[in-house]
Amino acid sequence: MPLGTLDRDPPPFFRQGPSALSKLAVCSALAFFLMVADARFKVMQPLRLALATVLYPAQWLVMRPVMAYQSASQYFETLAAAKAAKEDAEKKHNLQSQRANQVEQLTLENTRLRKLLGLRERLQSPAKAAQVVYDAADPYSRKVILDKGLTDGIGLGSPVLDELGVLGQVTRVYLSVSEVTLITDRDHAIPVLNTRTGARGVAFGDVSRRADAMELRFMAANADVAAGDLLTTSGVDGVYPPGLPVARIETIERRVDAAFARIYCVPLALVSGAGHVVVLDPVTAQIPARPPVEAPAPSRKGGAR
Amino acid sequence: MIMRPGQQLLLPANPFFIWGSLIAAMLLNMLQNMGLWGRAAWTPDVLAVVLVFWTVHQPLRVGIGAAFVFGLLMDVHQAGLLGHHALAYTVLSFCAITIHRRLLWFSVPSQAAQVFPLFAVAHAVELAVRMISGGTFPGMSMLLAPVVEAVLWPLASILLLAPQLRAPDPDANRPL
Repeated sequence: MPLGTLDRDPPPFFRQGPSALSKLAVCSALAFFLMVADARFKVMQPLRLALATVLYPAQWLVMRPVMAYQSASQYFETLAAAKAAKEDAEKKHNLQSQRANQVEQLTLENTRLRKLLGLRERLQSPAKAAQVVYDAADPYSRKVILDKGLTDGIGLGSPVLDELGVLGQVTRVYLSVSEVTLITDRDHAIPVLNTRTGARGVAFGDVSRRADAMELRFMAANADVAAGDLLTTSGVDGVYPPGLPVARIETIERRVDAAFARIYCVPLALVSGAGHVVVLDPVTAQIPARPPVEAPAPSRKGGAR
Repeated sequence: MIMRPGQQLLLPANPFFIWGSLIAAMLLNMLQNMGLWGRAAWTPDVLAVVLVFWTVHQPLRVGIGAAFVFGLLMDVHQAGLLGHHALAYTVLSFCAITIHRRLLWFSVPSQAAQVFPLFAVAHAVELAVRMISGGTFPGMSMLLAPVVEAVLWPLASILLLAPQLRAPDPDANRPL
């Protein structure tokens, strides 16, 4: 038997390094520190950015077979299915064209009326097209990854829409990808307006009752809401432009013992299967800064001395 | 060193193969997420299986520090709380170090039954941390993940030990 075929190094007797228990203590303490710094103080973004940059080649490599498979399966999609999809899209387009053509005139009318009334101009948000690459793996939250990042000028906090409604908000930006928190995420809140009554409220993500749902919270038990009401963004938060469709109310539970009604909504956007999306610039930048608060002048008793 | 009865003499492990298999397991985890099942709670964590395997078989090379670093990378990829995989893998690796002398005395199916609690503990740590920090409960299907990981153990034992089981003197009759 040739030499070097067996592990002949004697195991080290004295240089064992730190014990497993001390390693466990140090690493868990470090992990706890990271978790607190990330969840509570939000200061871990530079480390995340560095690690994501290291990880990006691996992700790119893994995406190759996935994308090859997707494009191949699209290629072999039958002609009939493609034709049906085209017809469907044309039908949708025709339905929308009437409203879309009225928009020009209505926008003009709106700007004139606003000028007449001396109101502030409606905000315009420039948009960028992007694509959802994959769902983030974390099963404890609802996030998706977009294929545009810092290099494409995606800003933190940008609202993301698909063709049906609001999808979510950009919460982390890396070099060439970015992370979108969906409106169904538990930590995501979006200010909405009931288009039937004009009442404003806040809708939260809620997946406890069924997958991909939302809850309109803090509405009084006797508030005027009905199943089927459309909720649109109200625009009071300075992030989402007003008037984008968000969700439709599905069921309402009014309880005698609770001060608030439990209102469940279904998001209009395809939160679980979005493909192509539009990223708007947050309107925060266009909102004029808050006027400086004047410090109350100290009252000087007795005048100058 | 006490040899257990019937123990095969193995070739020395190639460090490139060890680290390559760990990275390949990480890529496989990413592939499960990006291409196969998306955001599913039951998907087996292949990286955890390979980490435990090498911690048991090569405790001098792969240990708690490596587990921590791979955990951080998984956290960044999954876009979750930074550090929760790191903590889970640290605990997993510590448990693996604790049982590594005993485990190899058993047959492979019996080993799988003994590493199952390790994976269960790692998932429980993950779940506890995320529930405390305010996450959504991912559903009962997550109970399946440690089972699938334990089932993958025999497969890992075959695939990852194969390079060490080659003939020490390959000839025309035994090319591998």
